[in-house]
Amino acid sequence: MSGDANAGADATATDPDETATVRVDSLGKTYASDRRTVEALSDVEFAVEDGEFVCIVGPSGCGKTTLFRIIAGLEDATSGAVTLDGSPVTGPGTDRGMVFQEYGLFPWRTVAENVAFGLEEQGVEEPARSERVTEMLELVGLDGFADAYPKELSGGMKQRVGIARALAVDPELLLMDEPFGAVDAQTRDMLHGELLDIWAETDKTVLFVTHDVEEAVTLADRVVVMAANPGRVREIVSVDIDRPRERTESEFAEYVERIRGLIGE
Amino acid sequence: MSNDEVGSGVALSETEADERLLDRLAGFSSEQTGLAVAGFAGFLAVWYVAALFQPTYLLPSPVEVLAAFVVELTAPASLSIPFTGAELPATRLVVKLIQSLYHYVPGLLIGTSIGVFAGVAMGWNTRVDSIFTPVTRLLRPIPPLAWIGFAVIWLGVNHQGATFIVAIGSFWINFYSAYGGVEGVSEDLKEVAASLGVDDDWTMIRKVVIPAASPSIMTGIRTSIGQCWMIVVAAELIVGVGVGYEILNTAQNLAMDVSVAYMLVISIVFLVSDGLFRRVERRALEWRA
Repeated sequence: MSGDANAGADATATDPDETATVRVDSLGKTYASDRRTVEALSDVEFAVEDGEFVCIVGPSGCGKTTLFRIIAGLEDATSGAVTLDGSPVTGPGTDRGMVFQEYGLFPWRTVAENVAFGLEEQGVEEPARSERVTEMLELVGLDGFADAYPKELSGGMKQRVGIARALAVDPELLLMDEPFGAVDAQTRDMLHGELLDIWAETDKTVLFVTHDVEEAVTLADRVVVMAANPGRVREIVSVDIDRPRERTESEFAEYVERIRGLIGE
Repeated sequence: MSNDEVGSGVALSETEADERLLDRLAGFSSEQTGLAVAGFAGFLAVWYVAALFQPTYLLPSPVEVLAAFVVELTAPASLSIPFTGAELPATRLVVKLIQSLYHYVPGLLIGTSIGVFAGVAMGWNTRVDSIFTPVTRLLRPIPPLAWIGFAVIWLGVNHQGATFIVAIGSFWINFYSAYGGVEGVSEDLKEVAASLGVDDDWTMIRKVVIPAASPSIMTGIRTSIGQCWMIVVAAELIVGVGVGYEILNTAQNLAMDVSVAYMLVISIVFLVSDGLFRRVERRALEWRA
């Protein structure tokens, strides 16, 4: 993503009110079935500061997807609370833009119509709506594909639409659940660069769930490392490497080693 | 990033998509049309030869059927317009077909609307589902024609009776396709919509559930368009008008060539209505992979 195409694209992005502080307070989640109860999350506690990029990594079964869904408001916690700028999360809302691994695009809507969905719900009238859609498509580099249907796009392009759609309603927090898990490695590298550019440009707070340690070290200011049985925070690692980060750097490899050690890989 | 960097993108332009379709159609005509023509010609030949050794009242030949079809298509008759008392000049076949359409079209529209509505309501709301599931399980196995007695008692031996039977038939087909379609809508899409600000049922149904279920709903409508032509014939055997009645009536007079000609009418209107709806469907579901 080149900055010149998008310079000044989002005038409101630098407004401090547009960013958010997420607090996860002694969060617990227990699933009870007939035979046994499973403790998916136990006493999870961390905060994400304004404009910060935080990755959550952990082995499968560590409850990171459950944590994502609770922060998104799609599931209730058994104990504890999630607050966004001080107000408790009680359900899904436009203050948190969500990006899913399987894209979740509306297949009957074109790229532009997908991006417009949240704006329609917010009652944004034309021509402001179309202008915002165009702005978002430029931001993710899909300006030539406004009228394409999702079936005509590659995985990487679909996820760009997902990101544009989530950002269109100007959420305070961008919540991403393994968003690049379904695209090939080369496209993933490219999308990492683009996501960091978009993040820098829009000044959003990003919470990004992944099982890929290298992805977390590439992207995050801080990495929340989780452990399984029960799902809990093992450690929070600050990644102090200048961006753009190269995987070949020894520092990068050290962070990866350290986090892998914490996970027990 | 410019668009040519999007190496893995496979967006098809409209002309490319059109070309693909033409290729497929061309492939179809060169390879399969020959076989289809041969198969149909073989069917006519066997029928023709078999009919040579039988009197017309046992098995009319294709030539006799075609002749009867032409006679029915051209023999003058007058068509009475309901509610106005006016009479229009038409032909026998056209009059019978329009009588059948009086049953078919309203029955199909009423049954489809109620069926889709009920299917969406039950597929969407688990409480509505729980309340009505036992009743639908009980009523479902009853063939539409079994209600003919009630149709006659409630509505009389007339157009409404046949319309009622057709409506029941299309109701069940559309009910189950809409119900299945709504039940199959992915949770992901509903969650995405909720995260983008959809917070009431009606908006969710209108903007997510019905579009997502539309392939299934469309299949139901198309199936009922075909099935209802079969149901209308059966219903008309009892109410005594239309193409269906003519098939039975002429057969009772041993005019088998005319009877088969009216069977042919059903085939033709089925093929035409099905073909037209397929085009509508393809248009509406263009977005589908």
